[in-house]
Amino acid sequence: MKDQFIVNIIHRPEMVPEYAEKVTGHGKEEDLGRKALLKESLDIFKTQQALAHKYGLKTTIQMTYASLFNAEAVELAKQHHAEFGDEIGLSLLGLPCEQFRQKYKTKDFCIWMFSMEDKKAIVHDVFEKFHEAFGFYPESTGSYYMDADLINYIKAEYPAVKCAVATCWEEGPKAYHTCNNSWYTFMDGGPWAPWIPSKANTHAPAANENEDSGIVAIPHLSRDLLACYDGNGSNFGTHPQNVLRGMIYDTKTWEYPYLYNLIDQYRSLARYNDGCAYNMMFVGPGWMNKMGRWEQPYELLYKSYEDGCAYYGKLKKAGKLIDMTMSEFADWYRAKKSYTTPECALWRDILYGSDKQLFWYCDPYLRACVNMDQGGAIVDLRPYAAKLEWPVGIGTPHVQDASYPFLIQEKYRAGYFTHYAGEGTVRSAKICRNGEEVDLCLCRTKARFHREGTDRILTLDPVDVVFSDGVTVKLQTVFTFAEGSSSIRIDRRILSMSDPDAEVTVKEYMVACYGTTEYTEDMSSLTLHIEAGETDSVTIPYEYKCREAAVPGAEEVSCTIPPIKTRVSMLANGRNKIGFVREGYAFSPMFTLGYERNLKDKEVFTTWLNLERAD
Amino acid sequence: MAQSGKGRLNYRCPSCFMRDIDMDMFYDKDRDEYYCLRCQYRGNEADVLEKNELARFRYRAMYERFTFED
Repeated sequence: MKDQFIVNIIHRPEMVPEYAEKVTGHGKEEDLGRKALLKESLDIFKTQQALAHKYGLKTTIQMTYASLFNAEAVELAKQHHAEFGDEIGLSLLGLPCEQFRQKYKTKDFCIWMFSMEDKKAIVHDVFEKFHEAFGFYPESTGSYYMDADLINYIKAEYPAVKCAVATCWEEGPKAYHTCNNSWYTFMDGGPWAPWIPSKANTHAPAANENEDSGIVAIPHLSRDLLACYDGNGSNFGTHPQNVLRGMIYDTKTWEYPYLYNLIDQYRSLARYNDGCAYNMMFVGPGWMNKMGRWEQPYELLYKSYEDGCAYYGKLKKAGKLIDMTMSEFADWYRAKKSYTTPECALWRDILYGSDKQLFWYCDPYLRACVNMDQGGAIVDLRPYAAKLEWPVGIGTPHVQDASYPFLIQEKYRAGYFTHYAGEGTVRSAKICRNGEEVDLCLCRTKARFHREGTDRILTLDPVDVVFSDGVTVKLQTVFTFAEGSSSIRIDRRILSMSDPDAEVTVKEYMVACYGTTEYTEDMSSLTLHIEAGETDSVTIPYEYKCREAAVPGAEEVSCTIPPIKTRVSMLANGRNKIGFVREGYAFSPMFTLGYERNLKDKEVFTTWLNLERAD
Repeated sequence: MAQSGKGRLNYRCPSCFMRDIDMDMFYDKDRDEYYCLRCQYRGNEADVLEKNELARFRYRAMYERFTFED
């Protein structure tokens, strides 16, 4: 089958761009009806539309509430729909305008942060105003984030909606910090590529028809799966001005090969996803205002947008890209994917020259990141199997925090390296012999991907573990993600040993906790357990007492985490296995699950990490 | 001394940028310098541009064009 690379180009006539009023209006009192601002905003929309059309690309016009009061914007949308086949959709971004302020008496503008009562009222106002302007209801909508209750309400009231921009990938505490702790978009932990959100939690894909929210979600921007995880997400996406924001361009030539590398790497993901790859470009008008944006003059902002459109246009001309509107894409996606089809990405560094490689996996049960630069350690893990209900907005326990909780997050919880005490979250293994321990986190390697039936398999290049007595062990790690299993299988195979009679101990471990931010949560409701039959089982209620337990032949080790309704467990093969659990302590508020086993040459140690909902 | 404002372009603090913080600077026309409200950086336009180039040190592959064939 020929690979298909789909792009959605989305424009919104935002009459008061989020940034423009603040930046261009510096030194003036706030005035949302300022004529110059309204005119500039519409001019930017016209420019973006003209550039997309110049390169033969159709767009999705996401009307904002403010633009629905502007006859010229409405007329333009109708014209472009008729002439270019652009879809007329409806954004829940761009709410601020005089009419909105008068009615809702608030400066809030992020739909997911309103109370449920206000969300319903706003959705009603905006959708009905849209209908008044166009005579039909939209098929696509969106915001930076769309919480599950909001999506469910929209789908119930306006069933024509089939596609929505529903999250910004890894936009959370990192974006908050980058914005001098003033940008409250906390939505880490979601998919990076299109998915069908579950009714319970937008981030967690639906596993079946019962869980299906009824829409296809797309991420806001296609983001760099390595750079965004470590740095400011808003510098590294298929948003030309974000690339400029990151200063990732030559100041003399105004060239930015990184933007094209990013698009091309996304194209290359077709090889891991049954020939399907996706991109979206959604640049708000505030990024192209005439005053320039940070260090970049308007001419550079304009050039970068034109170059972005030109590149997509060139790919289209060459038969390497299909441009779709959002609703067209939703139909295409539903025809191509089943509920359990995972999204896979073996991602390489295209910016820092590090040669690092990450593997991202996402399905209705989990999202995981495997870091080859740390010997195949799992450095991020989200237990979607819990389908955690997580209401967001005023009047809920999470006014702003829409992130899906992690069990492992190496940036917020240290990962392998800690400052001389305690442990950080990571799933790795230690190879041990005569009192020496070598953690695979320190064995840098690379990986290859292949598929066998419904299994997605990541095979790491073998690494050498060298002990001081001269024994060298060549060890290979293989990850198997069995579709729909809610489980990760890890095989550690000893390919060779310098001394064929030598023996090593392999300690498989997972240090974890739970949270959505950089700061620790209360662990006192957790329970650790070793299942080993009636007489040998051990249970440790978490009390920060640094207790440990190990049981030979343990059938399972587990931890139940009530605050996120998750149970995580490990299983292992082999008769001489020992299962262990470790409680943390106040300075190291983590828990550890693991298995150890002695291995000889050519032997394999297999473990499974399982995730399930715990109520 | 008159109040500060925005300069010709909206420069960010290069020192904060290097620690992943986008911090707009303000311009003091009496001293012809930009300064950061958060940290201690201050400098004229030429210095800001020079430091911005330094901030790019981590983008070692910034000028490379990759291919993604197997």
